[in-house]
Amino acid sequence: MLKKTLLAKMHNIPVEHLDYNFIENCSDVKTLEKILGVLRSGDEGIYPHLIEFCEKKIENLYPESRALRKDKAPATAASFTSQEWQDILTDLENWTSDIKGNEEEIKQQFIFENCEKVAAVHGSNVTILSSQEKGINEKPKRKKRIAPRDYKEWDKIDIDKECAEVDEKKDKEDSVQTVSRSSLSEIKREIDCADLSQIEKKYIANHEKNKGNEAFAAKDYDEAITYYTRSISVMPSVAAYNNRAQAEIKLCQWTNALNDCQKVLEVEPKNLKGILRRATVYLNTGNFKASIADLTEVIQAEPSNPTAKKLLNEVEIRMANMQSKEKVKGKKILIEQIDDTNKEKISADSSSHVGGETAATAFQKSVMGNVQKKFPSRGDIRPETDEKGLSPVTKENAEKANQETESTVRSTEAKDQRLKNKNLENGKYAGNHSSTSGSDESRPQLLASGVLPPAVACLKEQGNELFKNGQFGEAVIKYTQAISDFEKCNVDSPVDLSILYSNRAACFLKNGNCADCIEDCTRALDLQPFTVKPLLRRAMAFESMERYRQAYVDYKTVLQIDSGIQAANTSVNRLTRLLIDLDGEEWRGKLPKIPSVTLSFQQCRLKEVVSKRDEKNDGVLSEQEKCKATEEMFLSFKQKGNDFVKTSQYNEALKQYSECLKLNPSDSAIYSNRALCYLKLNQNEEAIQDCNSALLLEPSNVKAYYRRGLAYKNLQNYIASINDFKEVLQIAPHITEAKRELKEATDCLKKQHDSCINQKQRKKIPIQEVSNSDEEEGESGENGRTPGSVLSVNHPHGFIDADPSNWKDTLHLKPTNAYEFGQMLNAIKVKSDVAACAELLCIVTPENMPLLMSCELDTEALAIIIQALDRHLLQKSPEMVYSHLMNLQKADRFEMVCSLLGKSEKDQVKLLFHHLSATESKEFTPDDVQKLANRYFLHEICLRT
Amino acid sequence: MSVSLDKPQIISHIQKNLNYTVFDTKWIPCSAKFVCMGNFARGTGVIQVYEVQQGEVLLIKEIEKSKPIKCGTFGFTSLQQRYLATGDFGGGLNVWNLETPDVPVYSVNAHKEIINAIDGVGGLGIGDGAPEIVTGSRDGTVKVWDPRQKESPVANMEPAEGEAKRDCWTVAFGHAFNEQDRCVCAGYDNGDIKLFDLRNMSLRWETNIKNGVCCVEFDRKDISMNKLVATSLEGKFHVFDMRTQHPSKGFASVSEKAHKSTIWQVRHLPQNRDIFITAGGSGSLNLWKYEYPVQRSKKDADNIDMGVAGLVGLLQNVTLSTQPISSLDWSPDKQGLCVCSAFDQTMRVLIVTKLNRV
Repeated sequence: MLKKTLLAKMHNIPVEHLDYNFIENCSDVKTLEKILGVLRSGDEGIYPHLIEFCEKKIENLYPESRALRKDKAPATAASFTSQEWQDILTDLENWTSDIKGNEEEIKQQFIFENCEKVAAVHGSNVTILSSQEKGINEKPKRKKRIAPRDYKEWDKIDIDKECAEVDEKKDKEDSVQTVSRSSLSEIKREIDCADLSQIEKKYIANHEKNKGNEAFAAKDYDEAITYYTRSISVMPSVAAYNNRAQAEIKLCQWTNALNDCQKVLEVEPKNLKGILRRATVYLNTGNFKASIADLTEVIQAEPSNPTAKKLLNEVEIRMANMQSKEKVKGKKILIEQIDDTNKEKISADSSSHVGGETAATAFQKSVMGNVQKKFPSRGDIRPETDEKGLSPVTKENAEKANQETESTVRSTEAKDQRLKNKNLENGKYAGNHSSTSGSDESRPQLLASGVLPPAVACLKEQGNELFKNGQFGEAVIKYTQAISDFEKCNVDSPVDLSILYSNRAACFLKNGNCADCIEDCTRALDLQPFTVKPLLRRAMAFESMERYRQAYVDYKTVLQIDSGIQAANTSVNRLTRLLIDLDGEEWRGKLPKIPSVTLSFQQCRLKEVVSKRDEKNDGVLSEQEKCKATEEMFLSFKQKGNDFVKTSQYNEALKQYSECLKLNPSDSAIYSNRALCYLKLNQNEEAIQDCNSALLLEPSNVKAYYRRGLAYKNLQNYIASINDFKEVLQIAPHITEAKRELKEATDCLKKQHDSCINQKQRKKIPIQEVSNSDEEEGESGENGRTPGSVLSVNHPHGFIDADPSNWKDTLHLKPTNAYEFGQMLNAIKVKSDVAACAELLCIVTPENMPLLMSCELDTEALAIIIQALDRHLLQKSPEMVYSHLMNLQKADRFEMVCSLLGKSEKDQVKLLFHHLSATESKEFTPDDVQKLANRYFLHEICLRT
Repeated sequence: MSVSLDKPQIISHIQKNLNYTVFDTKWIPCSAKFVCMGNFARGTGVIQVYEVQQGEVLLIKEIEKSKPIKCGTFGFTSLQQRYLATGDFGGGLNVWNLETPDVPVYSVNAHKEIINAIDGVGGLGIGDGAPEIVTGSRDGTVKVWDPRQKESPVANMEPAEGEAKRDCWTVAFGHAFNEQDRCVCAGYDNGDIKLFDLRNMSLRWETNIKNGVCCVEFDRKDISMNKLVATSLEGKFHVFDMRTQHPSKGFASVSEKAHKSTIWQVRHLPQNRDIFITAGGSGSLNLWKYEYPVQRSKKDADNIDMGVAGLVGLLQNVTLSTQPISSLDWSPDKQGLCVCSAFDQTMRVLIVTKLNRV
């Protein structure tokens, strides 16, 4: 009775509050806890249901409440499923037997004691006062009454160690530590365990690994790494490496993490965690492909792995970002290129007065723009990949570039921005390759390069790769390492060293580090005098440092070696003007001496160039003289041609330009001019050919695009012409003529489209290839320009007169993977170009269709394929149509897509099957066709019997 | 009985009644054996060695000694030797080879009165540096011993002359992460906690938690000191974050009221330093997990680092007995296996499940 009043009073809880309603409405946890206390005490009577109700209420409001902690009995077998219980017991059983075995082993090894490694005794009877005031203010009294040592102990004493310890103690005495941030450096990274048994080692390694895990959980990643390292030092284990990799990832130590992952995977190639972590490292070091490869492996093994999925997502996002960045970059390059071309135009215009386009004048002010930026767009600043073919990687690159070029060439009609971007890149690639062959290969054979040591070659490759990715800083590091390694190797090969220096110079130039660039170029030139690239780079560096005179001299030297280098020519022009402005008429006098290039160098270079030009009468004149003569003749022909154009005598002009081209087939301006003549003479196909050639040589020649656009328009190939005009407008947006023509062409296209909708086109479409004329390709290659940089050629209507032998050439353009195929298909879809689709279907092996289609199939694609099969291929090869249809229905998503087909599309399918069943073939019977038709969900089709 | 399945469960695997009062239990490292130490009703001391076998415990050895044994440790010994150091009611510190227990390997009259607590470090691969034993006694002193040095302690931590001597109830080693650094923490009956730095031979820090300190333990002995748990007579325990010491505020701490009576023991899981178990006077066990704060240290107004304490969460609780649980020890080899003794003269082998999923 007494107790009851006490408790209720103490808690100040009126009896009325012990009620469902009150508890229901009460939201104060404290009160509820008190009520629960009273209820549980049983003072007011025992109401189990009310107690439960109250508990539930508290749990809802505040699950962590202490009042809810009930005394619980320990769990028993009944708390678990029998399986769990059994597992627990067997686990323990197994452990006891295991540990017994271990214990026996330890006992057996307990024969020798190991006293040597044990640390010395700390001290002897040091008194520490256990009260703070005195403890801190006074130094602790140290009664150093050293006990007499055991006789035996003297043998074990390490005098040095003892002395060191005494010294150390003195040092430490005065320093009062206040903050005990863990001083990681004081933790030993290795454990000396030479005389421990295997079991002890395992025990310690495991212990250290646990410590690492805990530190990791507390986010002390450095500490975790230290302990994992200790664990590994005792006994390397996959788990420790794996965990260390994770900790290193957290600290962004990518290389270390990668090494650790590799170690894990060496031992356990299927270790998913290891693969996953490696993928993370790859992702963060920008190696997206490898990352994706790893992640797919993980997902294959464990399809529901959430981390892998998340990572994969991230990779894709980052890749997309990269691409969009590249896109921006690409545009920039485009702009740079415009600068370039227009600049050239200016010089061309001022000298020749051809062509009435307005593009040129607008850019006159920007001529002196960022010089440094302009040159890279040519692609000639990229590091040389050793064309002499020492490393297979280079070849691979070349192949890759070629492949990409091919694929882009075929999909050139795509408006897709990404494709254009890629195109540009390809232009760059190929440009580099050909320019390399232009400068490097032509180097005198007597200066043959030695074989690079593999390590150096590897470093160089990495450097080149990094350079390509725009990581110039890292590339510098690689090259520097390569150079130092190379020098260590004592290989006597100035050529290679020179290339290394030259490449590093390119990186410096890209980074705007002109001084270092100049230094490196100079070194490269010391090793290998009169090489074009280092000279060009040094010139650019000089120019950006406003040391115009030196730049001028370097450009001049380059021109002495090879007068055909456009960049040098234009720069010399620009610098001449500038120097005249600066120094007045006497500017030449202030120049440093221009080194005269020895004849042998010129000849070597010329031999290369000239031999390619198919000049027959060598030997009569010295190469140089002949070159001069050709130059003069060329100019005079050109001048005459221009004059004729001005007086509208296009036929005459045509002849003059053709003469020009015989002498020098690598001048895009001539092609472009001749195209104008053809255009005026209404010889549209020839005009297109010439424009193509011009564009091959100079991918951003606005005039050529414009003229080709006009030619296409005249040929009523409006799609191609629209493309060309768009290209023009993209390069130079303000050209009103192009805008007008574009509008016109679009209108025409509409009309044509309307009129031909009912018309069945069963024209045989020859397939035409860009690089059709072999001679042209060969010729253009030699001037450092690229066949790959053609932007848009491949239109069926444009090449009706094309050589049928090109059929075979197209085969090598076959899309090799789903991506390429998808790109092409997209391009086709965008334009609804049935003919192109037919073309594509021709080159694709039907059996590969499902693979190539991947999951790209949609109604649009299906419809266009059906159309292409029906209109273009059915006549030519019903077998192919059949096998395509057969394979198409094996593609992913086919059934779904089929069910989504609209009425008109279904009608098309029906029509196709009707046609197909009407054709006779050995490959299939009408029954087969019917069966196939059923697959297309078209049961209603009744076929002609 | 339905139990939430993802929480750790505490199973009372084996229970054994004993004919003496058990004060301390310890696993023998690298084995399925443990020792129980206590005193017979006739006033003598006893050490028993048991082995876990097929769901039972087998008595392997029983050793009777003249003085009741209060506490023991293996912390200083090598895995090969596995000697047991004990402190007895008479203040004697003895080191036994359990294979030949007749004569102690090392023996010293360490204190004038009962040794309440003992701890070891430097053995078993735990803690670099010399093997050392620390003892805390009712005579108010805390002494550090090296079993290679006879007669005199390595260090002696005693109150200054004329000061009141407080009963030392608990001692613990910590901070032994290299050969030089080492700390001893001691708790006294008046609520004092003192941290002695053995490297500098000085008192590094002290505080008072108002109630007698029954047990202190570092979460790990062989790392740069990370956390310290101190339990008190009135059912509270404190977790100190030992990473950051503020010159005036000392270490940050969080406290929790758990058992409704004295918390006799705290023991950290050897496999995970953030999980620990407390043993209470009401015969209950509580399993806790410490959660670190987002930032373990912050700057105070004067731009000096100060620690930030985390949170303690209860994972599981059970009541085993009506009598206080006097000792508890986790197996260093098998995660989740532990042995505990209570004043109802029972010894229990417990299994705690699912600790790796916490």
